[in-house]
Amino acid sequence: MITRKALNRRTFLRGTGAAVALPFLDSMVPAMANAATKTERPVRMAFLYVPNGIDMRNWNPDYEGKLTHLPRILKPLENFKEHFNLVSNLTHNAGRALLDGAGDHGRCCAAYLTGVQPKKTMVDIKAGISFDQIVANKIGSQTRFKSLELAMEDARQAGDCDSGYSCAYTNNLAWRSETQPLPPIMNPRILFERLFGEDATLSPEARKRRNQYRLSVLDLVSADAKKLTGELGPSDKRKLDEYLSSIRDIELQIEKAEKDNSQIDPGLDKPYGIPADFADHFRLMTDMMTVAFRADLTRVMTFLMTREGTSRAYREIGIPDGHHPLTHHRNQEDLMEKVAQINTYHVQQFAAWLEKLQSIQEGDSTLLDNSMIVYGAGLSDGNRHLHEDLPTLIAGKGGNRFKTGRRIVYRRETPMCNMFLTMMDRMGAPADDFGDSTGRLEGLDLT
Amino acid sequence: MQRKRKDWLDHVERPSLHQKIWTFIVVSALSGAAFANDSKSAAVKGGSSSSGFDSVVKPLMTRSCVPCHNASVASGSVNLVPFNKETTLAEHREAWDRILLKIRSGEMPPPGSPRPPQDKVDAVVEYLTGEFEKADRNIKPDPGRVTARRMNRNEYSNTIRDILGIDFRANEDFPTDDSGEGFDNIADVLSISPLLMEKYVAAAEKIAARAVGSIALPKPVKAVYEPNANNLQRINVGTIEADHRVDFDGDYDILVGMPGERGKDAKPVQLGFFVDGKLVHQVQVETKPSDLVYFSPFSDVTFRVPLPEGEHKLRVEFLNDDFIQTLDENEYYKSKVNKYPSTISITGPFPSKLEKASRKKIFICDPGTGNACVEKIVANLARRAYRRPVTPDETASLMKLVALAKSNGEDVEQGIQLALQGMLVSPNFLFRIERNADPKNPEKIHRINDFELASRLSYFIWSSTPDEELLKLAETGKLHEDQVLTAQVKRMLADSRSVALADNFAGQWLEIRNLDSIKPDPDKFLSWGPELRNAMKTETKMFIMHMLRENRPMSEFLNARYTFLNDRLAGFYGIDGVTGSEFRKVDLASDQRGGILTHASVLTVSSYPTRTSPTIRGQYILNNILGTPPPPPPPDVPALDASKVGSEVSLRKQLEEHRNNPVCASCHARMDVLGFALESYNGIGKWRTVDGKFPIDSSGVLPGGKKFETANEMKAVLLDQLPDFSRCVTEKMMVYALGRGLQLYDRPTINSIQVKLKENNYQFQDLVFEIVRSLPFHSRRGELLSSTNGNSKEIAHR
Repeated sequence: MITRKALNRRTFLRGTGAAVALPFLDSMVPAMANAATKTERPVRMAFLYVPNGIDMRNWNPDYEGKLTHLPRILKPLENFKEHFNLVSNLTHNAGRALLDGAGDHGRCCAAYLTGVQPKKTMVDIKAGISFDQIVANKIGSQTRFKSLELAMEDARQAGDCDSGYSCAYTNNLAWRSETQPLPPIMNPRILFERLFGEDATLSPEARKRRNQYRLSVLDLVSADAKKLTGELGPSDKRKLDEYLSSIRDIELQIEKAEKDNSQIDPGLDKPYGIPADFADHFRLMTDMMTVAFRADLTRVMTFLMTREGTSRAYREIGIPDGHHPLTHHRNQEDLMEKVAQINTYHVQQFAAWLEKLQSIQEGDSTLLDNSMIVYGAGLSDGNRHLHEDLPTLIAGKGGNRFKTGRRIVYRRETPMCNMFLTMMDRMGAPADDFGDSTGRLEGLDLT
Repeated sequence: MQRKRKDWLDHVERPSLHQKIWTFIVVSALSGAAFANDSKSAAVKGGSSSSGFDSVVKPLMTRSCVPCHNASVASGSVNLVPFNKETTLAEHREAWDRILLKIRSGEMPPPGSPRPPQDKVDAVVEYLTGEFEKADRNIKPDPGRVTARRMNRNEYSNTIRDILGIDFRANEDFPTDDSGEGFDNIADVLSISPLLMEKYVAAAEKIAARAVGSIALPKPVKAVYEPNANNLQRINVGTIEADHRVDFDGDYDILVGMPGERGKDAKPVQLGFFVDGKLVHQVQVETKPSDLVYFSPFSDVTFRVPLPEGEHKLRVEFLNDDFIQTLDENEYYKSKVNKYPSTISITGPFPSKLEKASRKKIFICDPGTGNACVEKIVANLARRAYRRPVTPDETASLMKLVALAKSNGEDVEQGIQLALQGMLVSPNFLFRIERNADPKNPEKIHRINDFELASRLSYFIWSSTPDEELLKLAETGKLHEDQVLTAQVKRMLADSRSVALADNFAGQWLEIRNLDSIKPDPDKFLSWGPELRNAMKTETKMFIMHMLRENRPMSEFLNARYTFLNDRLAGFYGIDGVTGSEFRKVDLASDQRGGILTHASVLTVSSYPTRTSPTIRGQYILNNILGTPPPPPPPDVPALDASKVGSEVSLRKQLEEHRNNPVCASCHARMDVLGFALESYNGIGKWRTVDGKFPIDSSGVLPGGKKFETANEMKAVLLDQLPDFSRCVTEKMMVYALGRGLQLYDRPTINSIQVKLKENNYQFQDLVFEIVRSLPFHSRRGELLSSTNGNSKEIAHR
């Protein structure tokens, strides 16, 4: 199958003379990629999560309908305003206190994709399966990875995360089950190795043998686990169940790779280390995300840009103060200004990614057209911890189904979960309801 | 153990902030319904003197509390009207604990409200304390239950190191472990995602191959680190560092280039080569002019060292180079005046001449001699990996992997490698699973077996697997015997692996680990850098290990008259007479430093990147020293009037501003005041007398009237509360040792540990012994098969 690779990679890399070799040519797409061979392109979805809310004064335009002049934070998207919708008034009620008291940061992050108010605990964590994982379970068998979870900030190493909420709630976006968050990858090298393999040097025979060995090892240890499970109480059993279901996932991955023994050519050099500069790190991560979508390695990604409550400083743009303390600006103009600058800086990076997605042709459309890329936050006003009118931008046409270029203002308190239902439709994993949904999000489609 | 993280502080305008406990009070008060108590919590009896409550507590509550805390006013959203019956002591114990705390500390009634006579307050405190102690004694002993514990990343790396002698860094490859209760070894929070499983599978493959030594080395390549390439960090004139990734275990040639020359009579210097902070090679280097002809003076030195796979920080340093002291700074890099290290190149890998330590551990007999030996090897490895004897069945199924490799035409060593790979993915290796003694009666309380005990001990004290000695003692069934256990804990603490308690327990308890991610503003703090950060970490780590190994009284955490310094940190502290980069114990002459609260590490992690925060530092003390975390601000806190806050006012003034509001004052009166005492230390812990243009004022008056002028006097106030500190450390260490949150039924254990610690002046090592001997450490119960997860209740604080 590898023979169908039309271009020699070395030639290609020499030709561009750069480590970042995107966008790459259609002929570079690995033979296994369904995306390249089918006329019907798959729809992909990604979530980019921004913590600590967004300065809403500079996010919401003062009009509805066709996007014309963009507010300050969205300005970097000027060239793309035909390609996204700004949706207003979506709410996550599950992020609110509802008698659980303090901890809006922990709650809003855990509720964001799960639609469930997380259990207030430091230990026995509990939220709900996140909707991206429902989609991944439904369509994931068609790609090498059911989903990818990414981040740019490491989990907190000590101390607590928010007023009685376990750090698990702010370290993770995606939840595989109500008790199992999916930890994101933040190290570009690890993402590279996951996507493209650590073993580019292995011969096909060696790879085949390795896979055979792995499957035998997994057989053995599943038997170990099953033997143990019989004698254990419910909590221990739950841990072993997680173990077994993860094993099953890897077996499926190996089987898929066996069927199609080709290597994905990333068109990128393997990165080492984690860039200190935010933009560099973001670019590395999104370059690989682009390849993963492009080569149809996965169709579902969630990306926790930084953690809720992060005190990351943005010296890249001359802001030495921590992000979270700044967002509690108590309406002091100088602090609000810095927040707006950080928000804008994030959108600048996002715009660079959209440009890449837009530059990749897929037949008559582009990769961006065939995607739904949501950029949003779990809080609107970070100073007051508001959970309504969450800043939400959805880029791409979802496979030429969405009419883009508009600001759509929904009825106040429209559940965010309504948007999830609409996205699940587009991803081919429709559901009757999710979280506190009350219906689909009307008005996004072309008609 | 409800605490907030520090970022949550220093902002005042907060909606919907509400600690669980207060919600609890309000909800129960508003609904008027008595909340069902956790069935497992204490069965608190009404107490003998029903008149005590009515005659002592009720009048004071009615007069001093209820006027502000009732259904219509509910200051701070707290309504105390329903707390008018003695039965509520048992029904709402957690709320009462909170009430007692507020009264005892003098926070309530707040300044400005009429104060009841002190003897009345004392009587209430005495009555409530007595009732609660009585109630705690009646709690049924229960060791609790720990869920199957997956190894976290540190434990995984250490375990691989100790079983196989392989340096594997799980931190570089595995996703970060989630934490709960402030620690990353909490069983319920540690889960296995598909990503982690993928990493386990790949790591097992890699580790097994490295251990057996079957990886073919590629041709040697050379990597160069030099100033021009921008990949070298100059720490100072005599020290350079480079980050280098080694892809294969092996020997590597290190070449250090050194420009310049010193005078004709210059003495040679010792060049030290460090890998990840550890000195691995020393060589003497001539510094006087050589006879060789160069355009500009230059010499180099080459030596060969073994390097394990992984990312490494390489460091070249001229050790104890006195000559530098005689130079002016502008002479450092003059080639006719000085010689200094400037480049590092690494060439390799070369096959190691030494047999790998891992092979010695694996091949305990010659597998070429036949299947009996192979089985012996496999069974031995599995025993170490599973931390217990293996059954013939288990060995047999692992032998199938050996056979599989053989059937693929591979040799027996590769077969053993595959079996090892299997063990390293097995749940028996990845999890510590404790079994129910009586499967028909899972909730029966029983002592854990000696193998389970060996693992509990080793993962508590070493963050690693039991060694041969522990396993052997478990095999003879003697480990749990009091004398044997005591001797083993002593041995384990003396062993170098016990440094895990400093890294993992204290690193999280004191939040020292956050030094790695914290980024003080380099424009504000010129001396900040990796060197200083590492020195800060080392000081605290050595201090903790000293406290532990020397069994020092815990009061020294607060007022030690010594610390651990090298030249860098001593210079930063303004302490003379410390030369060289090695750390040593230094007696402190002035009272500027002493105890962990004046360690730069602690002062840095409790600051903002740009400035100090008395609120965060105060909260740090409440959380980590006194164990009395303040509740988050209640939801009805009004916004601070921004116009009153400006750069023309000192930080102290700004913070005092919002304490004019009695609602804020109830917490900030303690928190900020404790923090003010540490204002003499800037955002990275440097001593100062002014902040910008404002002189430092570190005085304060705590609720209840205790006064101090300086940090030292504040520490003296804390020392008066030594029992609280001891309890706080005990609770944290219990959580860490058990890998679970504490419950109401743990109180008797904590109480009795306090009694024992007090007898002997609260010595730190004693705490480790007491925990090891405690019921929840040596015993357990299972859970009913039908019971649902997640109804456990967190322990409330006093």
